[in-house]
Amino acid sequence: MKITILYGTETGNAEMLAEDIQAELEGENEVDCLNLSDMSPSDFDASRFFLLVCSTYGDGDLPASAQPFAEAMNAEKPDLSAIHFAIFGLGDSEYDETFNHGPKKLAELMLAHGARQIGERVAHDASGDDMAEDLAFPWAEEVIAQAGEALGEAA
Amino acid sequence: MSGKIAIVGAGPSGCFLAQALLKAAPGLEVDLIDRLPVPYGLVRYGVAADHQGTKAVSRQFARVFERQGAQFFGNVTLGADVTLETLRAAYDAVVLAAGLSQDRPLAIPGGDLPGVHGAGTLTRALYDHPDACALPDLGPRPLIVGNGNVAIDLLRLLAKTPEEMTGSDLGAGPGEWLAGSGIEEITITGRSPAAQAKFDTVMIKELAKLAGVSIRVIGAGASDDPVEQKKIEAVQALDGIATGPRRITFRFGLTPLAVEGETSAEAVRFATDQDEEVLSCSSVLTAIGFGPAGDLPRDALLADARDAEAGALAPGLYATGWFRRGPRGTIPENRADAQALAARILDDLKSDPDKPGRAILADLAEAVDYTGWTRIDAHETEAAPEGRCRAKIATRAEMLRRARQEERPK
Repeated sequence: MKITILYGTETGNAEMLAEDIQAELEGENEVDCLNLSDMSPSDFDASRFFLLVCSTYGDGDLPASAQPFAEAMNAEKPDLSAIHFAIFGLGDSEYDETFNHGPKKLAELMLAHGARQIGERVAHDASGDDMAEDLAFPWAEEVIAQAGEALGEAA
Repeated sequence: MSGKIAIVGAGPSGCFLAQALLKAAPGLEVDLIDRLPVPYGLVRYGVAADHQGTKAVSRQFARVFERQGAQFFGNVTLGADVTLETLRAAYDAVVLAAGLSQDRPLAIPGGDLPGVHGAGTLTRALYDHPDACALPDLGPRPLIVGNGNVAIDLLRLLAKTPEEMTGSDLGAGPGEWLAGSGIEEITITGRSPAAQAKFDTVMIKELAKLAGVSIRVIGAGASDDPVEQKKIEAVQALDGIATGPRRITFRFGLTPLAVEGETSAEAVRFATDQDEEVLSCSSVLTAIGFGPAGDLPRDALLADARDAEAGALAPGLYATGWFRRGPRGTIPENRADAQALAARILDDLKSDPDKPGRAILADLAEAVDYTGWTRIDAHETEAAPEGRCRAKIATRAEMLRRARQEERPK
């Protein structure tokens, strides 16, 4: 499968996880890994499956590198109805009121422009006991399996 | 691209810089030099013991050594073990990422009375820094001057019950000290109105979870600005929280004029917008910023800088993080700073193959390398008692002993 991993990061933790997922998926798939700050809404390609990895920063906000993307989406209003994505969130439950609000906002942004979400949004908790990759690798495998059917149908 | 770069300070700024340099140019030799035998600086000794999620950034830093090939030279003090001049002669570029570790003094009459403690001094002791002094007796009513994030960290730690420290890396000694502090009331004061207070809203919201406190917020004021309103609303939302007996009072618009007391701090006299007000207390905790440790001529270096804004001090000499910018901004801001400086350094870099680089550090018998740190780290993690994620080694001697000790087969 052709996959693009898009990450939104503030401290670099989401970037590190995105690169880990890329390394894990390479071989069986053709995988790109891109900072959301370098992604234009017009670059979405229906033949690719988009894996979004996004943290939360400040008071439940999108991380810095996702903010220009969000602004571009709101300005350009692209039609993403042929685009399939899945999303993995990073957060810290120490700040429980806004836990994983960044990825939640990013998912809503994608859905608002018609993109189709594959699987549930999974959230890693930096204050929990799991390593992010231990949740993210099985998540990626799962959503790729589901996306195979969806992208196959679309093709 | 080849080249030899020494970074002084293995805290977040130094580690992010090494990460960015080696990502762009994997062939560089990048050495992180720290006066402590352990890396990660403020992530280990400044980020609060109960903010383990924030400390998770150290997983990125471990990779800088484990996968990107940076080398760690811990327990190496600039000036004593190696001079800045020697480093500059030996490396193509030297970067000062030494941070700002000294509490800015409370420069008012009585500011040096016994019972006045800097937040950095206090948190170093709380977090088992090897150079820390003993934890002082704060008495039943400490008063905090300043309400930035450092002050809020201190407030939260002093307010927490022992049960609320579960999952932290707070040491046994500091844990007992906190549990037996006898603190009845904490007053936290800021110069500005709440609208312009320096704390981050998210730090204030976290206080709503405290399990043993009664919070009052006095004079939070109002604002028309949406960002300021969020600040005011967050702190106002704490008013009236009553989960336990320890009283917390937020005050705003108080400019400290003098610390009063015969032999130790007993009260602080403040200027208000109308008049003066005296708040009695049993100790004064200052969280009003940080300055340089004094081992590097920071002011002169910045004053003579070629391009201080970019962190270019002199040919082959750079600065990043708090050392360059001053004590403002959190970990991601230092990451952005480091990434910008990495680009500048790579732009400027002229590699001289005759420079010896890390060979000049080879004779330092007491230096701790990354393998030594992994031994310390493994020991600290394994020794963690119930309810803790780590048991920090608090002395240099023990750190050095563990760093040298090979793991024995079990």
